[in-house]
Amino acid sequence: MDQTGHLISQTAHAATQAHGEAHELPNIFTVLDQIFPGNPFFEFFHHWENIVFSVLIMALIVFCSVRAARKKKFIPDANQNRWEMFVEGLTGFVTGILGPKGVEHVPFLGTLFIYILIENWLGLFPLMKSPTSAWSTTIALALAATFYIQWVGIKEQGFFHYMKHMAGNPKGILGIALLPLMLVINVTIEYLAVPLSLSLRLFANVSSEDRLIYKFAELNVMYKFLPFFFQLFANILAIIFSLVQAFVFLLLTTVYISLIMPREDHGHATGSHNKKFPSPVKPT
Amino acid sequence: MDYFQENIRLGEVFVQLVAFLTVFFVLRKFAWKPLANVIKARREKLDHEWTDIGKMKAQVAELQKEYEEHLRKIEDEAREKLQEAVQEGRRIAREIQEKARSESQISFEKAKTNIEIEFEKARFELKREIAKLSLQIAEKVVREKMDAAQHEKRAMELIEELEKKL
Repeated sequence: MDQTGHLISQTAHAATQAHGEAHELPNIFTVLDQIFPGNPFFEFFHHWENIVFSVLIMALIVFCSVRAARKKKFIPDANQNRWEMFVEGLTGFVTGILGPKGVEHVPFLGTLFIYILIENWLGLFPLMKSPTSAWSTTIALALAATFYIQWVGIKEQGFFHYMKHMAGNPKGILGIALLPLMLVINVTIEYLAVPLSLSLRLFANVSSEDRLIYKFAELNVMYKFLPFFFQLFANILAIIFSLVQAFVFLLLTTVYISLIMPREDHGHATGSHNKKFPSPVKPT
Repeated sequence: MDYFQENIRLGEVFVQLVAFLTVFFVLRKFAWKPLANVIKARREKLDHEWTDIGKMKAQVAELQKEYEEHLRKIEDEAREKLQEAVQEGRRIAREIQEKARSESQISFEKAKTNIEIEFEKARFELKREIAKLSLQIAEKVVREKMDAAQHEKRAMELIEELEKKL
């Protein structure tokens, strides 16, 4: 039994080493590709493993949440109760920042949070992988968040005021003269810096966690399980930091939404958009 | 640049974006909205029930107040009637007393009158007896010649006899 475990570890280690500099534990597709080299089926899955794991998570979340929501019991069972607690907690958090109008953003923010959280945690399961340890995944999530934020901006402010906001609310000749520069700066920040910072932060953190766990696992293989407690510690840290990263992504997206929503002090809450919202929390 | 090319795969980004948006739209329609509706419906129902409970509590308090008022009125009425009954009893007792007193007075007066009548009758009878005896004495005195001592003796006997009769 001990020998078998050791062999698996060795195979996994070899499988990862075979792909250049290994930086995370081998997953099921890495191992299968290594065991059956040249198999186009496994090669395909190994190549698109992040997408496969994302689809797996997608199916898991959809199945669990729809199953919980389908019952609609007045006295909820355990599963429904967990989801309701999550929904209520998240609604409280989001409305705390965005005000009562924030309720309509709960579905997006909630999906974002739970999707990222499960993707972060998936890498902790044997033969699984965190899709968020790949930059492509986090870029996709950051782009989704960015498009949503801008869409909220256009919807809440109106296209004209949104463009005015992007142009830095120009006033006077100087403002108009600086308009192209402000537009470039704001578009760069909103459409490039925001998704870049969001995606890079998540990708860097999760891939670092995976790398740390991998290194401790490698030490376990090399030194006969001596550094087991280090790996355990790293796993606990990864559980906590995965949660923190998902929460940070959620928090920042919420704050970006609050910043793009019309406010009195911006002076463009007019017409149908003349609604008073509480001052959003500014990122520190 | 190689790092970016190695780590960013546009096809993967696109598919991941589609995957996330799929999850978002599916969850929004089939999970978030139903769950939010269930929570909202439950909250509304509970609020409604709390309102009903509040109303019922107010109604109960109102009813309790009414019953207490009613009970107080009943107690007041009972006390009033009791006092009326006591007063009536006292009045009847007083009347009976008055009646008894007047009846006894009448009886007393009647008895007194009877006694007086009987007394007068007795006096009359006595007078008649005295007269009769006087006549008898006179008759005896006339018929018999008696000395002074005999007269006296005879007179004393007559008096004693008279006393006995009285």
